[in-house]
Amino acid sequence: MRRALAIARKEFIHIRRDPRLLLMVVLLPLIQLFLFSYAVSFDVKAVPTAIYDQDHTPMSRQYIDALEQSTYFHVTGYVNSDAEVDAEFETNKTRVVVTVGHGFGNDIAAGNPGQVQILIDGTEPNSAQAAQSYSAVLSQLFGAKVAIAQLQYKGADPTKVAGLTTTTRTWYNPESRSANYFVPGLIVILLTTVAIQQTANTLVKEKEQGTYEQLIVSPIHKMELMVGKIAPWAVVSALEVIAISVIGILAFQIPFRGSVALFTLGTILYVICCLGIGLLISAIAPTLDAANLIAGLVGILPGFMLSGFIYPLDSVPPFLQLLSYIFPTRYFMTITRTIFLKGGGFDVLWPQFAALTVFAVVIVIASSAAYRERA
Amino acid sequence: MTLAPDTSPALEIRGLRKEFESVVAVDDVTMTIPRGAVFGLVGPDGAGKSTLIRLLTTVMVPTSGDAFVFGKSVTLERAEVKPRIGYMSQGFSLYGDLTVLENIAFFAELRGVPRADIGPRADRLLAFSGLTEFGDRQAQFLSGGMKQKLALAVTLISEPDLLFLDEPTTGVDPVSRREFWRILFDLNRQGMTVVVATPYMDEAERCTEIAFMSRGRVILRDTPEGVRGRVPGHVINVTVPDYHRATPVLRELPFVTSVEASGETLRVLAEPRCAAEECLRAIESALVEHGFSDVSVVASTADLEMAFATLIPASEAPLPTDRTDTVSAGEGR
Repeated sequence: MRRALAIARKEFIHIRRDPRLLLMVVLLPLIQLFLFSYAVSFDVKAVPTAIYDQDHTPMSRQYIDALEQSTYFHVTGYVNSDAEVDAEFETNKTRVVVTVGHGFGNDIAAGNPGQVQILIDGTEPNSAQAAQSYSAVLSQLFGAKVAIAQLQYKGADPTKVAGLTTTTRTWYNPESRSANYFVPGLIVILLTTVAIQQTANTLVKEKEQGTYEQLIVSPIHKMELMVGKIAPWAVVSALEVIAISVIGILAFQIPFRGSVALFTLGTILYVICCLGIGLLISAIAPTLDAANLIAGLVGILPGFMLSGFIYPLDSVPPFLQLLSYIFPTRYFMTITRTIFLKGGGFDVLWPQFAALTVFAVVIVIASSAAYRERA
Repeated sequence: MTLAPDTSPALEIRGLRKEFESVVAVDDVTMTIPRGAVFGLVGPDGAGKSTLIRLLTTVMVPTSGDAFVFGKSVTLERAEVKPRIGYMSQGFSLYGDLTVLENIAFFAELRGVPRADIGPRADRLLAFSGLTEFGDRQAQFLSGGMKQKLALAVTLISEPDLLFLDEPTTGVDPVSRREFWRILFDLNRQGMTVVVATPYMDEAERCTEIAFMSRGRVILRDTPEGVRGRVPGHVINVTVPDYHRATPVLRELPFVTSVEASGETLRVLAEPRCAAEECLRAIESALVEHGFSDVSVVASTADLEMAFATLIPASEAPLPTDRTDTVSAGEGR
């Protein structure tokens, strides 16, 4: 115990005296927090839009008005030929071109559906998808309005006509704020980065410095060394989670709707998983560079790509979906978002907790074995 | 320092062997080192000195054989061996970002030095090694000699009975080297047994006994005087202006075995059959005959460098490149 404490105290001195390390564990998370919350906004509003009105009738003008009044589209200009449409896209002036076809007004007047073509620049899929759904909804609403007007004109009472009303309401994140999505996710990512990378480094560094020999000639027990080496990073990780949560809640108004105790439990389980992964890497990596590389490969890459942090996991290829199940990050991502945004409890999250527990047990056994064997 | 009641030697090595993939780094070494010795391990790079020390300090596990530190096996009773030994590895192996005092305190805690003893011992060691005023300096900002003295101080904090040093003064200036050895002898006088690997013959000369290692084996073991005494023949120092031209003249003489330049002096090894006085006169007259003046010819004694050069047969000459003793300590446990 005394020896483990001595190691832990020494690790804290290393952290305190290494400006690069401080930068990595303190400044970098803050930068990422602000970057992901402000700059990388996936909120799609005011999509630059150009209008190609081939019809020039009162009806087409009405449709275009409706579009201009919507906050989702920002009409940047009008075009008059197909060539101009190409130019608009190529110069990146617009992302959407709405073409109101010839005979739009006449068709509607005759009781036929009016034709509107929406061209979307798909190079950036996220806003493309948003633009697509906005314009679909917009056209539907406009169509309904026209239908009602026509019914009234024909003397029918539109309130008596059977129809379909769709009411869409976004739950948990009614304003669809990206920050709500990203900040809880970022907690997971930062925790993963710090815990895996730093534990992976810690033992290899001693080997490269030649200090490892000095440690093994001392009477220290292997487990004491392991605990002493890992404990500081568990503490740093915990502080990191608390700091980002508090900043997220206070500065970005991220809701925290669930149980603090449950979130704490999940965090502890997940930190054990990450430290286990880091220790395993540290035990098998021959050099510091190798340790960093492996840590990046097995910890951070899947953290970003296979956790649902940026892309919903349903939209990645089936093979990668399968792969994501063997990394603990996706479970903790679900736990974090569910607790923060939905206030979900153990009754819904128990499968994720079970998966994390299994992973924690397996990795602790595996890394201790590897550590005893190789370190 | 507590002396165990038993009388087991400080170190007893029995058939110790360490193989790496294709190299035998330590090849069946058997020897006993008595308590109170300052034992020197000499030999070229790659001879296996560092690996031998690593085996003896439990950092590495031998392929076969065993060694006993005060009667305790380094393979089976590591926990009993560790508290009694100190090991100063090659190169600087402390934490550069920790201060002098933090390094000492850390290793003291690690080796279980009683809390109350840490302060006084640290003070004494710092004074002893002339580092008192640098207590709060980060180790990375010390000079080479100070770093080595700190490493020694750190090794000594647990007051080991047997101290292993692996090339402790490599890259250290001569003044610091002398200082370092003064410290070692002080400790030795207080009862500590020292095993030191060194590439310097002047350091080997100070040891009570030396073992010469080559290709993993101990091929010669004796006191420094004993080793020098084994040199067959007489050593004669010849000082002459223009000694380059004198060398072939001396080599022509029938009783001369070898001629080596050492600074401005020629060290001549003459065969044993020629009595010293006779040789001196023969050399002097040969040089005068060849037109040399200001000639000085003096009987001398062999030094270790010459001893090893003559005693180690050519077949034992070291392989220049196989530095097996730098293999990482990764497999120690």
